[in-house]
Amino acid sequence: MTSRGTPSRFLRSVLQNGVGRYVCQLKRISIVFSKKAQSSLGARDFIEEGVVDYANKNPGTVVYVSPQPCRVPKIVAEYLNGNVREETITSKTSQQISELLTKLTNQSGLEIIRIRKPFHTDSPSIQGLWHPFTNRPLSIGPIRGFSMHDF
Amino acid sequence: MSASMAYAGLWRTCRMLLPRHHVLSPAAIRTQSSASGDLMPWTSLSRPPWPEQPSPYSAEEEQSRHAAVVSTVNQRINLRDFGRLFAVVHFAGRQWKVTGEDLILIENHIEAECGERIRMEKVLLVGAEDFTLIGRPLLGKELVRVEATVIEKTESWPKVHMRFWKRHRFQRKRIIIQPQTVLRINGIELAPRLT
Repeated sequence: MTSRGTPSRFLRSVLQNGVGRYVCQLKRISIVFSKKAQSSLGARDFIEEGVVDYANKNPGTVVYVSPQPCRVPKIVAEYLNGNVREETITSKTSQQISELLTKLTNQSGLEIIRIRKPFHTDSPSIQGLWHPFTNRPLSIGPIRGFSMHDF
Repeated sequence: MSASMAYAGLWRTCRMLLPRHHVLSPAAIRTQSSASGDLMPWTSLSRPPWPEQPSPYSAEEEQSRHAAVVSTVNQRINLRDFGRLFAVVHFAGRQWKVTGEDLILIENHIEAECGERIRMEKVLLVGAEDFTLIGRPLLGKELVRVEATVIEKTESWPKVHMRFWKRHRFQRKRIIIQPQTVLRINGIELAPRLT
């Protein structure tokens, strides 16, 4: 299933981010992990050492840490445009989890599907669109007045 | 750097090498190019497909007309009498036609964090509604300033790279995910000083 079989979208940004100032698009991060399971070991290490630094570096993002009895530890990221992304962090080290978090922070919430064009403009033409009569000299003269004896 | 109106200056090599008043026959040019290595080889794109018309102005008149054009353009730039500007910028191995407030997707990683401002230095062309400045091949850095902000650094969608040879029991499948960067062009500024 490629390009034609999967959905696609045009390149865009959320609410013209970047025209004024840049706003980080990540709204909320919830780290769901277990207190005892082996698969959440990396998550527990990350929460011991890295989570506070991450939260201080990204003041616009809220970090929730919720230990639950769960088999699969995951990170749930919610973005400003409402999209929610879940990533599982089973058996990942603390380093890998922090890289994953930076990746999620740098993303905007738009879907990761095929982008049709690598550019987007709101004003595509400044000097006027080309039509077949641009830059051609006139082949007939100016329109003269109508007179009866031409017929 | 040269200022030019919309239709001049396309057949640059031909104009510089062949004198304007007499047209060399193609056979003569071919023999010339084999003798001296200076001339470009003659191809179907060496001269424009319309018949070449000798200019009705003499050399001094042409020079004065060119000087008038340059002074008009300089005046416009000094008075900042232009509206929206566009620029052709060489970035990440490609050339992009760029205006203010538009988005660009680069298929690799850029050494700048999200939210940082970047200046694009290789500007080949800048245009407004009435005039264009064409660089040879680049415009000066004190003349144009193109600034962009890094908005997003994501990964591409998982592209499938599959190789298959029929009747040879050979197939390989690989998922390729590339880093992507989205830039927002903040604006193009033109300096009020042209040499």
